[in-house]
Amino acid sequence: MIESFFSWLETSALGAFVKDQGATFATIEAVHLMALAVLGGSVLVSDLRLCNVVLTDVPSKTVTDNAHKYFKISLIVLLVTGFVMLSGVAVKCYHNFYYWVKMAALAAGILFAFFVRAPLLQGDHAELNPMTLKLVALASMSLWFLVAASGRWIGFSG
Amino acid sequence: MRPQSPHEWARFHCGITRELEASVLNSLALRFAEWVDSLSISSSLHESFYLYNWIETTHVLTLMLSLGMLFVIDLRMLGWWLMDVPATRIAERLNRPMWIGFSIMIVTGILLYVAIPIRTTQSVWFRLKLILLVAAAINAIAFNKYLAATGKTWDLDKIPPKRARYAAGASLCLWAGVIVCGRFIAYDWFDCGKEMSAFMNWAAGCIASAAGHH
Repeated sequence: MIESFFSWLETSALGAFVKDQGATFATIEAVHLMALAVLGGSVLVSDLRLCNVVLTDVPSKTVTDNAHKYFKISLIVLLVTGFVMLSGVAVKCYHNFYYWVKMAALAAGILFAFFVRAPLLQGDHAELNPMTLKLVALASMSLWFLVAASGRWIGFSG
Repeated sequence: MRPQSPHEWARFHCGITRELEASVLNSLALRFAEWVDSLSISSSLHESFYLYNWIETTHVLTLMLSLGMLFVIDLRMLGWWLMDVPATRIAERLNRPMWIGFSIMIVTGILLYVAIPIRTTQSVWFRLKLILLVAAAINAIAFNKYLAATGKTWDLDKIPPKRARYAAGASLCLWAGVIVCGRFIAYDWFDCGKEMSAFMNWAAGCIASAAGHH
């Protein structure tokens, strides 16, 4: 069923549009990279603050609350551009091991960001164990690094 | 057609000079690339699947650090992010991680050039990327001087002055251009040897060399 969805996606109007001109895929991918930079910035500023590495004289809740807004915006852009790119190379991605590594890491990253990290950081950070904050930050950075690295590796393994 | 007037001769002469200068620069760039290509490190990098791919992956992923920090700074200067935090504090505190990221990108970028020097030198996208990098650097230097001179007067403003906003907007546009050009280097639409206009051949520096590359 999953394989038939991927086959359908590649032969759909969206897939045809992406494959029609080589510049289409490349341009969408460039937008994907720009959104990656914004997501990277929001994740790193926020998580490095939780680790007391950057902006240590700014309240951590100020940094994390501000960062979350741009995290959500960049994530939406990444998901949309990622889906559009997938439509052009769906069957190849279905058979690519690193694509599925990226999807697993992406799912874990989204679930972790919205159901573990965000609820934990809603309250007063001073009441939380500093080690807990650091572990959450390290887990967050590791997950998003894995998403980005496996995403890049799709291109090398196809 | 022969120039008829002193004014036409002057334009003719300037045109020839500019063309000669462009040819000389292109020749020098290609000769430098051919020299780099002859080094054993170039072959080692180019032929090693894992080494080249890890260097490129590092280059791409590090933009999350370097450009990520830069975008936070620029968005503060636009008055779009962390407006309750003094602007100069954001710039000062994020400067070091940003430069750690840029250092990694410069090193990996040089290694990527060394791996495939000739094609990279004759890539319009690489040339445009370098131009945009220089423009972004000039913009950053000018803005940092402005920030040092006047920052304390508008530091606490949620919306910085127009000068700061224009510089931040220019920075975002230039770096977006760098990302686009960097990604497009891999595509062969305007590679030398392909059928393309005289302008594109000139822009890519497609000239024949002693080694037969063009």
